[in-house]
Amino acid sequence: MHIPDGILPASVCIAGYAIAAPFAWYSLRQINRLKDPTEELPKASLLTAAFFIASSINIPVPPSSVHLVLNGLLGSILGYFAFPAILVGLFFQAIMFGHGGLTTLGIDAVMMGVPALVAHHIFQLRHAFRQKLGEKLATNVFAFLAGAMGLGLSAVIFFFLVITNIPSGFDAQTEQAAVYGLTLAHLPLMLIEGTFTLLLVAFLQRVKPELIERRG
Amino acid sequence: MKRTFAIPLVLMSVVGWQVRAIAHGVGITYEATEAIALQANYDSGEPMAEAQVTVYSPEDPSTPWLTGAADESGRFVFAPDTSIPGNWEVQVRQAGHGEILNIPVGGEEGVLAASVDGSSEPGSSATDSESDSQIVSSTGDNLSLPQKGLMAVSVIWGFVGTALFFLARKK
Repeated sequence: MHIPDGILPASVCIAGYAIAAPFAWYSLRQINRLKDPTEELPKASLLTAAFFIASSINIPVPPSSVHLVLNGLLGSILGYFAFPAILVGLFFQAIMFGHGGLTTLGIDAVMMGVPALVAHHIFQLRHAFRQKLGEKLATNVFAFLAGAMGLGLSAVIFFFLVITNIPSGFDAQTEQAAVYGLTLAHLPLMLIEGTFTLLLVAFLQRVKPELIERRG
Repeated sequence: MKRTFAIPLVLMSVVGWQVRAIAHGVGITYEATEAIALQANYDSGEPMAEAQVTVYSPEDPSTPWLTGAADESGRFVFAPDTSIPGNWEVQVRQAGHGEILNIPVGGEEGVLAASVDGSSEPGSSATDSESDSQIVSSTGDNLSLPQKGLMAVSVIWGFVGTALFFLARKK
């Protein structure tokens, strides 16, 4: 899912940074408005570690294989902390493992960070459905949706970025087919990440509900 | 890695315009030439099967000198024109994953074997080298698994440490 250096033209990479910057700024501003911004940091730091290592966990989806992203999970649990967390995680992945790249850091941050923020808002929707569905069911349903949609949106962004930027030297049709294949392979991953988010949220709800409830 | 020879088949069609004999003779000559063998793997170690490959000569870095596809096991062999010395650029790409590799050709380079890692999933594949072949890896990820593991653990410990630091301050 990470786009490495050299795949996208320079203009797209620069645009990626240009789009990522205001999101980072807005997220940091939202964080700064909290009563005690450092209060959430332990949680954010631990989930950054989870995000960092998640991409090393490969799940075979024939014919290819995909890896966990967990951006929907980060969005649901961290809220606005998710964007800087993902940015830091991506930076370490790029430097340590050459996974993604520094020129595409902006693009990758947009691709995974923005859906994380969307996931955050999806997860917040559970409050609106609390009456109708009941507390527990609403939380579970929207945790699943947030986890699945976070990843799904990323896959869609990835798809459009790659499909619209096939260099002339390559056979566009073959590459398109390969991209379709890889994007479809993310459908089962959506289920996996959605379920994973649901399980984690249900677990936290039981043992330490203030971890997910505090922020509105 | 074994020494790889590509054998260009020079098909010389001798259509009989001289009334010597009625035959469609074919003369085949061959020469042993230096070839470049690429092994393209995702960094999970999985081969980039049938990934597209484009080769750019040092003379013209904008139009492909050769296009082709790797085989099932992610292997691609081509014989660069040794009369054009310089950095040959090879791009391997599949489904938005790929890498650009510069291969110096000409001079006493000998046979080059290059390993391209398509930065998709971690876990690395190492290629063994013989004394006469030179391994060039595109990115710096010719790290062994324990090295990578240690790097991952260090980074994670950094995050955990940060978490503990702020937890301790809270109290």
